[in-house]
Amino acid sequence: MAVDNILEAIQVRKEFGGLIAVNDVDFVIPRGSIVSLIGPNGAGKTTFFNILTGVYTPTAGGVIFDGNAISGLPPHQVTALGMARTFQNIRLFHNMTALENVLVAMHSRIKGGVWRSIFRTPALKREEEGAHARGRELLEFSGLRGRDHAFAKNLAYGDQRRLEVARALATGPSLLLLDEPTAGMNPEETANFTAFVAKLRAEHDITVLLIEHDMRVVMGISDRVTVLDYGEKIAEGLPKEIQHDERVIEAYLGTAATA
Amino acid sequence: MATAETASRPALERRLPISQIVLWAVGLVLAALIGYWLIKNAIDSPDRFLEVTLIGVTNGSIYALVALGYTLVYGIIELINFAHGDNFMLGTFQTNGIVNNGSFQIPFFPTSFVLAIPLGAAATAHSSGAQKAYTIFMCLVFSMLFCMVINVSIERIGYKPLRNQPRLVPLITAIGFSFILQDIGLVWKGAGPQPLPNILPTGDIFSWRAASYSWDDFIVIAVTIPLLIALTYLVRRTRSGKAMRATAQDMDASSMMGINVDRTISFTFALGGALAGAAGAIYALYIGTTKFDLGFRLGLFAFTAAVLGGIGNLSGAVLGGVVLGLIQAYTEGFWDARWTTTVVFSVLIAILVFRPSGLLGEEVPEGQ
Amino acid sequence: MSDKASPQAPKAEGPRTSAVSSWRSSWSRFRREHQWTRWAIPLAVVVVAFSYPWWGLEGPLSFVFNDGLGIDNDTLFNMSIYVMLALGLNVVVGYAGLLDLGYVAFFALGAYTLGWFGSGLFSTRDIHFLDTNAARLPGIHLSFWVVVLLAGVVCAFAGVLIGWPTLRLRGDYLAIVTLGFGEIIPDIFRNGDDIAGHNLTNGVRGVTQLDRPGFGEALNGATGGILPVRYTSLELRPWYFTVLAMVLVTIFVNLRLRDSKMGRAWIAVREDEIAASAMGVPLMRTKLWAYGIGAIFGGFAGAVYGSFINGIFPVSFSFQISVIVLVMVIVGGMGNIWGVIAGAMLISWLNFRGLDKIGEWVNGAIPGSGNDIAIAKYKFGIFGALLVVMMLFRPEGLIPSARRKAEFAEGEGQATLYDVRN
Repeated sequence: MAVDNILEAIQVRKEFGGLIAVNDVDFVIPRGSIVSLIGPNGAGKTTFFNILTGVYTPTAGGVIFDGNAISGLPPHQVTALGMARTFQNIRLFHNMTALENVLVAMHSRIKGGVWRSIFRTPALKREEEGAHARGRELLEFSGLRGRDHAFAKNLAYGDQRRLEVARALATGPSLLLLDEPTAGMNPEETANFTAFVAKLRAEHDITVLLIEHDMRVVMGISDRVTVLDYGEKIAEGLPKEIQHDERVIEAYLGTAATA
Repeated sequence: MATAETASRPALERRLPISQIVLWAVGLVLAALIGYWLIKNAIDSPDRFLEVTLIGVTNGSIYALVALGYTLVYGIIELINFAHGDNFMLGTFQTNGIVNNGSFQIPFFPTSFVLAIPLGAAATAHSSGAQKAYTIFMCLVFSMLFCMVINVSIERIGYKPLRNQPRLVPLITAIGFSFILQDIGLVWKGAGPQPLPNILPTGDIFSWRAASYSWDDFIVIAVTIPLLIALTYLVRRTRSGKAMRATAQDMDASSMMGINVDRTISFTFALGGALAGAAGAIYALYIGTTKFDLGFRLGLFAFTAAVLGGIGNLSGAVLGGVVLGLIQAYTEGFWDARWTTTVVFSVLIAILVFRPSGLLGEEVPEGQ
Repeated sequence: MSDKASPQAPKAEGPRTSAVSSWRSSWSRFRREHQWTRWAIPLAVVVVAFSYPWWGLEGPLSFVFNDGLGIDNDTLFNMSIYVMLALGLNVVVGYAGLLDLGYVAFFALGAYTLGWFGSGLFSTRDIHFLDTNAARLPGIHLSFWVVVLLAGVVCAFAGVLIGWPTLRLRGDYLAIVTLGFGEIIPDIFRNGDDIAGHNLTNGVRGVTQLDRPGFGEALNGATGGILPVRYTSLELRPWYFTVLAMVLVTIFVNLRLRDSKMGRAWIAVREDEIAASAMGVPLMRTKLWAYGIGAIFGGFAGAVYGSFINGIFPVSFSFQISVIVLVMVIVGGMGNIWGVIAGAMLISWLNFRGLDKIGEWVNGAIPGSGNDIAIAKYKFGIFGALLVVMMLFRPEGLIPSARRKAEFAEGEGQATLYDVRN
């Protein structure tokens, strides 16, 4: 039975000089699923993300997203096709407000236009107002009500993480890549976030790929887990299966938390 | 691991953007044409070609010395020291003063008062060989000292406080210092050309038809090479040199290892300044004249040389200097001196567009 | 999305400046409560500017402005041109954050466009279009207004051509490359009297006897003599109003773009290219727009300037001009239109007249100083010192936008182009 994969990475390889960061990895994400990518630090997870999103070009192999071959495309085109991401170390536009951060992310979804902006046509005004309204909605949806005009760098850490996600959502993605989104969160925040991700998939049809270290999140929400170590895929399957996989345990050497 | 092939599977290979291909094709064609043109000239008149080549190498050594100053500073704090060329100019002025007046001059800008410390180093074309040698030696020593102090002062006053600011800020400061140094020169000696007598040894070492190589040409190399050797030794073998290289690689780690980063940076500026002073002395003595706005153009040419060789790379700066000297010589010798500026800056742009790491630099890691 | 201080903007000021900041916040409050100030104040400024010839050049206050400060015909025109240049560069440096050290290239290109299409340079040709000259002169003579537009087109084209391979470079490399173009283009004009045997620019002799703007007999009659048939070198007012009108257009475009999708994209690219790209902002296209728009305004200014001084010489287009305009943008307050205008007016006045005037006052004030302290000799040094002092103590400029002030306060470490180590 053919599964509709929103993303397929085929024999993806990335070398930096002599270092093989990603070693012939095959990877698929079924549409509508939540997949987690785990592995010890330095396993190549973020590098893999960067390849998927177009920041790096693979040394070999290719990536197909939603039926489009995307290896070699610049990041903004990948985003326009419907893949969004957050960053491990938050990369907000610090000297822009929360609303402005979100509006920037709508770049590929609103027409804008330099001429229309200069003459501020009625169509443009409508579009801008719509964008502002959508932005405010997104901020509220992400738990940032009332923070519209706060500079991103003045937000509390938790709010900054929320803004990262809100911003990624503003690009109108069908696939959302989250890079260690719960880093630094306490258990309550983590639980809230996990529910939030579930809501994204359920109510908004967004497929999610997660890089995570927090096993509660991984086990609690993933349909499938893939494990990388030293750039290679060493295990893949249901969360329960991965939990007891010898190679995985060995790779982590006992850092897996009990589910 | 094979995955199911479908008839409509899109191609996986990375498509090279057409724009890149066009750019590279144009570049290669250009390079081939230039190579052909050079070889043709070499065959048509080999003696002239030799002459021009020697001129290029000689001028290139001066560029190399100045380029080293740029590359040292850029390597350690990633700043283009815009004022470096004008520092060099002040070195030529100092040499001018020493030869013409025999004293070490300290200009008290913004007044026009100049403190003169007599060295007994005045010389003309008719002075004795001993006097000339003494004068040349004094020129080197005191120009180097003068420019060293200037460079370190600029660093302390203007660059050190701005180390954490966005890139634009120290760059603007550097431009500001460039203007200030030019003005110092202007007030010190005036706006016109500043000639000095020819006290370098004259006479040909060898000549072949139209090509001749004289002793003053040789002196340039004779001074440059020991300086380069000294610099290499300093950077490779001494503790300060090691500190410089470490700081250039990772400032934070170096300071955590106990290296006094501030002192190391000042030391680097001192070295760069000394090299500029030496280049200034040689230039003034060899070319025989200087002017307050000399620094801007020559500085940019030298910076081009540094980039050409690979910014941050010392051998690159030397190679770049010589190559640039040759480019300039060939342009002036076999084509048209009018176009030198355009040619040199076109080379600069071409390098930054096609190979920003320069001839000897490392490949820049992947980004956009 | 105005860049005036917003209520939540961080005020990183110490006790020394709290008086200023409290004045500023009450001013912001006043402006928010009285919305009419949004258009009333700029309107008042425009009226004051337009009426300067009546109250400043001649008339009641001329002894202060014309004689005292030396803002006469030439100075006034000069200042206006530089305001336009600074506003053009503001889009490149202030909004998009691109280090441009070669802006003079577009100024030159605009002027030479006039030289090509509005003078007797190509005397073997005889092409005229809505030409308002008194007689039918040899050469290519298009309507001045067409030439100005053409200057914009030529510069836009050149901007894209130059920008396309170079705008992906990192900050200081971009600065050097643009500096390179700023040297190459005037050099080409200098040597243009013999390019493969053709005289394209008249070389160092330059192009003189350039067309002047004009509206022709028909429009002159229709407006009852208000629109002059052609401008002359005797009557400044038409020139001044023309440049002022162009400045207004530049301000208008600046404002509209600042608050648009493109304006947001510029700030994002300036802040963090990698994040901007990940959010769907096409880097090259965004930068090219900024660079191109800056180029267009530089071209407009060049054409009008060339016509006014009636002489286009390669030597006039030097690195000094690129730097001076950059200084105006930075000293004024990058990204803040009013700051840039103030900076441009101040610096162009200082450069053109002010320093000499100050020299006169100083010499007059010091009794028996005998020889004059030739201030002109110190122009370089004064500008250099001004740059250094500004960067050390107020890098955000005199009247910065709230956003920029915040950027400099935290000493933002900019991500380099090639930093993808996460």
